[in-house]
Amino acid sequence: MIPACPLAALPRGEAFRLDAVEPPIAVFHTDDGELYAVDDTCTHQDASLADGWLEGCEVECPLHASRFDLRTGQVDAPPAKLPVRTHGVVVEEGTVYVVPSGEAA
Amino acid sequence: MTTSSLPPSVIATLPGGYYTHENIFALEQARIFESMWFCVVRAADLAKPGAFRTVQVGRESVLVTRARDQSIRAFLNVCRHRGARIKTEESGEVRRAFQCPYHAWTYDLEGKLIAAPNLTKMPDIDRVEYGLVNVHVREWLGYVWVCLADEPEPFEEEVQGQVVSRLGDLDSIHNYGIESLEVARRIVYDVKANWKLIIENFMECYHCATIHPELVEVLPEFAEGLATQLYVGHGAEFGEGVEGFTVDGSPGADRIPGVSETQDRRYYGLTVRPLMFINLVPDHVVIHRIFPLAADHTVLECDWLFRADVVRSGRDLEPSIELFHRVNVQDFEACERCQPAMNSRAYARGGVLVPTEHHIAGFHEWVLDRLGTGQLGTGQPT
Repeated sequence: MIPACPLAALPRGEAFRLDAVEPPIAVFHTDDGELYAVDDTCTHQDASLADGWLEGCEVECPLHASRFDLRTGQVDAPPAKLPVRTHGVVVEEGTVYVVPSGEAA
Repeated sequence: MTTSSLPPSVIATLPGGYYTHENIFALEQARIFESMWFCVVRAADLAKPGAFRTVQVGRESVLVTRARDQSIRAFLNVCRHRGARIKTEESGEVRRAFQCPYHAWTYDLEGKLIAAPNLTKMPDIDRVEYGLVNVHVREWLGYVWVCLADEPEPFEEEVQGQVVSRLGDLDSIHNYGIESLEVARRIVYDVKANWKLIIENFMECYHCATIHPELVEVLPEFAEGLATQLYVGHGAEFGEGVEGFTVDGSPGADRIPGVSETQDRRYYGLTVRPLMFINLVPDHVVIHRIFPLAADHTVLECDWLFRADVVRSGRDLEPSIELFHRVNVQDFEACERCQPAMNSRAYARGGVLVPTEHHIAGFHEWVLDRLGTGQLGTGQPT
């Protein structure tokens, strides 16, 4: 479990790029109040999804408009073909933690 | 000076070369168009965030847009990476960002660099520092002015000051509520003539009786050839029996509410240097934005603005629009008639200004002063 940022620093509609891990992970706070974490790097070309546009449970890559479902990591719109990995998110005492996939919570 | 040999009635114009030489035009681009407040777009044309226009200001293409906070922004239309044009279209709308079509450097509507391939691996690239280059912006009368100078002159002095010196005060133009009027028609004129010929033509009325029969019917004092612009606060009065500022003297549209009694039944024409004309009549306003593209090529965008309720009523505004459209066509044909002769031996030292045109010499002095080329010489510019 890796601390990302204070929850207060991640308002709804915003994203946080956690680069303490490799590859980096993006944490999103949706307008509905949900928190999701996926690999930050678009699978099409090297771009940060945290710099992209969050709409509902999808993020759109800022470079070529590939869209990924934050719940599953699946591609909803090309040009990306491969999904991004999803990761767990935990909030404890006001801090957002990321649980990288494959790691027990 | 050749002026010493001229008869006292006349004053020399600029030599013909000032209207054709690329070096003069380049100086004008740098020291006039890129140094002064330049009226570029109607703010309402940028209806919502992401709507944009590209305009030519001197040597620069400028991208004008509306940001998320509804403010108007303007940038040099150049990607900071390898210099590609961000937008080549004249107008359009982006959803969220401006993206360079070459390597996909992506800028938000405030110009900040927000994404680029591999950008996260270059944490030393400051996203504001490498954002689009901002240019100064002002909104007034529902229009957007930009200034490419690092430190613009105060807008109040450079632009509004000209209106005050022509009309006497700013209230006189605010009476027309130009920002709340709507564009009923826009006509773009592509004119094969130097921008100065177009300005000079607008400044004098010596030609009116010859080339503007319809206008002189409506404004009989124009037949005398006096430039109304010379008299502070003076507007040319409609002729007896003329009911409106229309091609046939028929009634115009509903009067603009703020127009005062002294402004009723009068026409006011203003030149706002460097590149704008404002024409005020009781029921509408005609505004020319002027874009010099080359020494012998100028594009004008002319807007006819009426009350919003008049435009939406579907009422026939053709007689109103047709009058100034004809004036425009007549004027620009005259300018295009002059342009080829600017290279003639017969005009190497220029022509002459008759007394009703003497004030144009003030425009020439202003141009020379801006260019820093000194006194008007006798021969061709070098």
